[in-house]
Amino acid sequence: MPRTAPSLQARLLVALALLLLAAAAIAAWSLESWYRDLGLRAREDVLEAQVIALISSADIGPDGRLLPQNLVEPRLATPGSGLYAEILGARGSWRSPSALGSGLNLAAEPAAGERRFEHARLADGSRVLGLSLGIRWELADGGTRDFVVRAAESLEPWYGEIARVRAWLATGSILLGLFLLGGLAFALRFALMPLYRLESEIMDIEAGRRERLGAEWPRELAGVTGNLNALLTGERKRLERYRATLGNLAHSLKTPLAAMRILLERGQAEPAALAPQLDRMQDIVRHQLKRAVFGGSGATLIDLAVQEPLEQLRGALAKVYADKPVRVTLAIAPGTAYPIDPGDFLELAGNLMDNAWKYCRGEIAVRVTPWTSAEWRRPGLAIDVEDDGHGIPPVERQRVLERGVRADESVAGQGIGLSVAREIASAYSGTLEIGDGRLGGARVTLRLPGR
Amino acid sequence: MRLLVLEDEPALRESLVQQFRGAGFTIDQAADGVEGEFAGLEYPVDVAVVDLGLPLRSGLEAIRAWRKAGKSFPVLILTARDSWQEKVAGLDAGADDYVTKPFRFEEVLARVQALLRRSGGWSQPLLRSGGVELDTRSQQVRVNGAAIELTAFEYRLLEYLMLRAGQVISKSELTEKLYEQDFERDSNTIEVFIGRLRKKLDPDGKRQPIETLRGRGYRVARE
Repeated sequence: MPRTAPSLQARLLVALALLLLAAAAIAAWSLESWYRDLGLRAREDVLEAQVIALISSADIGPDGRLLPQNLVEPRLATPGSGLYAEILGARGSWRSPSALGSGLNLAAEPAAGERRFEHARLADGSRVLGLSLGIRWELADGGTRDFVVRAAESLEPWYGEIARVRAWLATGSILLGLFLLGGLAFALRFALMPLYRLESEIMDIEAGRRERLGAEWPRELAGVTGNLNALLTGERKRLERYRATLGNLAHSLKTPLAAMRILLERGQAEPAALAPQLDRMQDIVRHQLKRAVFGGSGATLIDLAVQEPLEQLRGALAKVYADKPVRVTLAIAPGTAYPIDPGDFLELAGNLMDNAWKYCRGEIAVRVTPWTSAEWRRPGLAIDVEDDGHGIPPVERQRVLERGVRADESVAGQGIGLSVAREIASAYSGTLEIGDGRLGGARVTLRLPGR
Repeated sequence: MRLLVLEDEPALRESLVQQFRGAGFTIDQAADGVEGEFAGLEYPVDVAVVDLGLPLRSGLEAIRAWRKAGKSFPVLILTARDSWQEKVAGLDAGADDYVTKPFRFEEVLARVQALLRRSGGWSQPLLRSGGVELDTRSQQVRVNGAAIELTAFEYRLLEYLMLRAGQVISKSELTEKLYEQDFERDSNTIEVFIGRLRKKLDPDGKRQPIETLRGRGYRVARE
């Protein structure tokens, strides 16, 4: 087993788990802070209310202390209740019965009109929140006296509540995280299912259990699977063509070989007798090679701009047929391009133009247009080659296109151009048709489909 | 006519050389691209037959080098691959025609003769000047419609002059083109052959088909 990189699914899950962990921690922390803040504010409000209640019920006693006249809040009267109060003054202080033995020890002594909150600990170590408010009391004689009124409340019950909330938040976010991770794992599996299917189908193809990928792929994969299928089809066609060529070659060479053997056995192997058989073998090899050696279609092809090769062909043919001047009109829609192997295109167009040159009287028209269809995202290609020769009669047309296809047919070196062109076209799922042209001769139309 | 054979396969090259010699050509030969390119640049070549697949430097590169140096002699390429891609590449590089392997010598010879004829400005295989008709295909010469017999060398001399009808051809050019480089060169020999040729073409000396330009050379009129 070769070492493999971690799977996409594992990578995504690990990354998402870390992300979720961080998100849950931040959420829990901020929720807790918010809750704590809110709670503290509420405690402070309670203390303020207590202090104000104390002040409103207080009056100067005979000894000059400020004393609450009655304790509205029963908790202040119960020792260890968790709510405490005291009033400090220059002439002595008052402390609520609840604070007896509690060791309440608040430090703040704010000036009149000021207030101060503080955290403190009682003798038993429990935490309290205290509020000290400085007041200035107007005496009946018009003088004033300063006091500090304090209230304190135990925070222990509230801290207990916070601990519970924290535990609840932690459990909640862990559960939520687990739920989300599970959901993501499922979503990933669901989303990646086509990839697993692709993998298994490719393995099936490798193992020879299937010929091509199935249909109905998600849009994101359709391009890849379409190209793969095109590649597979192209390869299979090519293989079939090679097999057919090999078969045809072997079979068609048998006849001249047999003839030569007979000549040898009869002692009649003079050069003059052998030469026609050699010629025949040579023709067969040339012919079959011509049919077999082309690239064929595939998904890997890049666009070929057709203008330049067509002009090269015109120049080349003008040299080859130097004794036959021909007026060649090339009408090519600007920028026309098609994904085809350059060699195949030259072979296709070369055969069509060569054929036209051979049979025309003095004029050839080549027209290249994109071939569009609603089914294709990219247009196909249509090439018309017309000449002003005698044309090809309808009854001959099919035969011309199939010339030399059958293995046992006697093969001439000439006249297979159109049938070779047709075979290349069909390797690209294209067609070749023969019709009547506007110049009076034949019109050969090549159509290569879009994608 | 001086022909350069550029082919690396010894058997094929030998056979081409022999058969072209037999057809009256003066031969230069090379077995690789570098030597061949040099020969084409330095020797007075009239036509070249070039195999595309050569050691050291491809036939295409040799042809491009010749064209770049302004050499305009016609080039026939021999190609093993019968594909338009290969043919177009060769013709685009500056070759003038192609023959695919395997080939018959007659085919190659016919193409070479057609190239020579066209490079001399003749569009027909039948060359005419005065009353003289020379058929490059059958190598037959007629004077006023009557066939005459020429020796191989006389034919080559006449063909050379007629292919370049209208041009003045010096004796040294004729020596160069009609003799292989290792032969004895003697311009008197050319004069002797021109004299014989004139007697056969124009026994009574009326038409003067081959004009002598003193100190410059010979000329056949172009019609």
